[in-house]
Amino acid sequence: MSVLDAPVTATAPAAPTTGLTPIFVRLKLTLLRNGLRQSSGRKAAYIASLVFTLLLAASQVLGLVLLRGNAQAGTVVVLLTAVVALGWAVLPLFFPSGDDTLDPTRLVMLPLRPEPLVRALLVSSMIGIGPLFTLCLAVGSVLALAHGPAGVLFAVVAVPLTLLLCVALSRAVTTANVRLLNSRKGRDLAVLSGLVIAVGIQFVNFGAQRLGEAGGLSTLEPAGNVARWLPGASAIAAVDAASRGSYGVAAAQLLVTAAALVALVWLWQRGLVKLMTAPDGSTLAAAAPTRKESGRTGLSALLPEGRTATVVHRSLLYIARDPKTKAAWVTALAIGAIVPLINALQGTGSIYFACFAAGMLGMQMYNQFGQDTSAFWMVALTISSTRDAYVELRARALALLLITLPYTVVVCVATAALLGSWRALPGVLGISFALLGAMLAIGAVASALFPYSIPQEGAFKNVAPGQGGLAWISILGGMLAAPVLAGPVIALTVWLHIADRQDALWLVIPAGAVFGALIGWAGLRIAAPRTANRLPEILTAVSKG
Amino acid sequence: MPDQADVGTGTDVTAGGARTAPPAVRVQGLWKRFGEQVAVSGIDLELPAGKFIGLVGPNGAGKTTTLSMVTGLLRPDMGKIEVAGHDVWTDPVAVKSRIGVLPEGLRLFERLSGHELLAYNGRLRGLPGDEVDKRAAQLLDVLDLAGSQHKLVVDYSTGMRRKIGLAAALLHNPEVLFLDEPFEGVDPVSAQTIRGVLERYTRSGATVVFSSHVMELVESLCDWVAVMAAGRIKAQGTLAEVRGDAPSLQNAFLELVGAGGRDTSGDSLDWLGGTR
Repeated sequence: MSVLDAPVTATAPAAPTTGLTPIFVRLKLTLLRNGLRQSSGRKAAYIASLVFTLLLAASQVLGLVLLRGNAQAGTVVVLLTAVVALGWAVLPLFFPSGDDTLDPTRLVMLPLRPEPLVRALLVSSMIGIGPLFTLCLAVGSVLALAHGPAGVLFAVVAVPLTLLLCVALSRAVTTANVRLLNSRKGRDLAVLSGLVIAVGIQFVNFGAQRLGEAGGLSTLEPAGNVARWLPGASAIAAVDAASRGSYGVAAAQLLVTAAALVALVWLWQRGLVKLMTAPDGSTLAAAAPTRKESGRTGLSALLPEGRTATVVHRSLLYIARDPKTKAAWVTALAIGAIVPLINALQGTGSIYFACFAAGMLGMQMYNQFGQDTSAFWMVALTISSTRDAYVELRARALALLLITLPYTVVVCVATAALLGSWRALPGVLGISFALLGAMLAIGAVASALFPYSIPQEGAFKNVAPGQGGLAWISILGGMLAAPVLAGPVIALTVWLHIADRQDALWLVIPAGAVFGALIGWAGLRIAAPRTANRLPEILTAVSKG
Repeated sequence: MPDQADVGTGTDVTAGGARTAPPAVRVQGLWKRFGEQVAVSGIDLELPAGKFIGLVGPNGAGKTTTLSMVTGLLRPDMGKIEVAGHDVWTDPVAVKSRIGVLPEGLRLFERLSGHELLAYNGRLRGLPGDEVDKRAAQLLDVLDLAGSQHKLVVDYSTGMRRKIGLAAALLHNPEVLFLDEPFEGVDPVSAQTIRGVLERYTRSGATVVFSSHVMELVESLCDWVAVMAAGRIKAQGTLAEVRGDAPSLQNAFLELVGAGGRDTSGDSLDWLGGTR
């Protein structure tokens, strides 16, 4: 009989319930430290973001303190807190560096009771840059609002309560999403959250413009009055109410946040228990009956033989089936349409905003091989010459163009229709084509030179640890370089406008199309030998997920 | 497995008599270093063609690193590698068309169904579409995957993934097949299927190189063995040569990697199984 056979009775060591929180805090600190020790680049990035956050927080606190005494201080502060709380709910889902240091699914095999586990996770979640920023903001907020002993008293309770609520909100949402993401259906649903963000940003944009037009913070008051009763913001509002002497309202507002915190922790705990005890989606999917499908889908039957058709087919299947690829595409399609169309609806935008669609979609050419994950080895084994690499890249660009070209045209035409500026449409189309070609070219070269891994397991992480800088630099660099590359076509359009030769604007369409095609072709030509020569390096870079 | 060995020798004799076939793999002075750690330190290896070859060694011995470099998936720091007489790094066209690979720890295109994966892989290798579909159907049938051929690979079990990977590696009828831990995590039924396919494949004169740390398996399957430990080749030769006087390959292996005399009966674990 070994230890493994012993029944779990009183003689077995009791589950470590009392000391769990310090253990988790230490674990979190150790993970953080070890993560930073992995590479000096990562350390530098962390320190840079810490300094940046602290500077931002300090300026926020300063601004908030200066707001003290302003008639609208309460409204502004409450709305700010509401936005930050919303950010806590949403941002961890979308930002590459989501906090997985204490992924509860890694603790499944440990004998931990839910209550102490949630407590320990909650406390350890307070360590990090985000909570620090929120703490600074909350402190600044109460500094702006608290007057008199009652205000101070409420402030002392409100600050930790707000912070706890933000963290619990973020954790509860993440846990709920991890569960969702474990099933394939759930992943497809989660894709829609990209839309939520895209629309949300536009609402913020819209709101800011309204504010600018109305010319005063007083327009915010109705929104502020609602936010005063929203969990998170209501704790800060309570400080304001207490400072004004409305103790009943203050107590009620504080209670709203406290009740929400309790509810969130309960939801989170329930989510955790479910996550750690129920079979995950993959098991359920594997147990499901076999899908019946025709062997050859309609599309592949239409395509000719050879690498081009094969790769186009595979790329299109992946856009439809791979959650990461799909999410990237849906987000790009949504934002690419929303930005020009909403701006046009507001009557403030220019038709040239429609070029945004081409830019957003052209970005999908980036990190082509990272999208393959380590399955890239199957491609690498079939590329033995520059020609193979060229055909492979060209096919991927073609798959992209199959969606991008009609989409760009539709967005441009729709924007023109909304704004009624049909005369400028040819210029926009021409520039879009040129931009698309430039993005494809830069994307192809970046795919060869700066590949990075896209983790498949992490809920919303899009870059493997340590490669974030590489990803951002290549994407940012590309976004800056694309307009430069498309410069001649942009210059032509601008000149036609300045010279008042708008009757000749139609020329920009063929010019943009030919120029875009040439640039794209040149980009593929430049990328092909680099891809063929760097196959092992690319494979290593994309296998870190 | 004597008949297996006989078949292997027979092929070798005819090959040797008719033409001097180059070795399946020739490795000279191969080095690979990851940061401070030397994964492969200057190995020389010559694997004969037409054999069932086992590359054995404990975890971290450098088997996967070696196989990755031999198949062109990892760039060596130094050294020369030839597969079927062609240099892997200067003549990739000749090498890549001649080898099939089943790597370990790398994914497949999992959002394709088993059938689509084979169709994709075969067409990328330039085979005509009809031929790919015919071969794929037969492979799926033999490997007992026909029933799940329209299921996405992401929903496959470990054994099924290994089998579909093997099918993809065999699709273009390669001369040399490299398999990294093909039986790791595979259920006995799938393992037997894989085994059967591989034995049939080597009988045709093709070479199989596979890595493993399961000695019983290597002993029953292989007629040629290379033992690796700590980034070096400790022994290579026919099964009998490597086994020497030891009662089994397992014993010979433990002796070679220097783990033969580890004492597990000491009192350092005396609490284990004691009073609770």
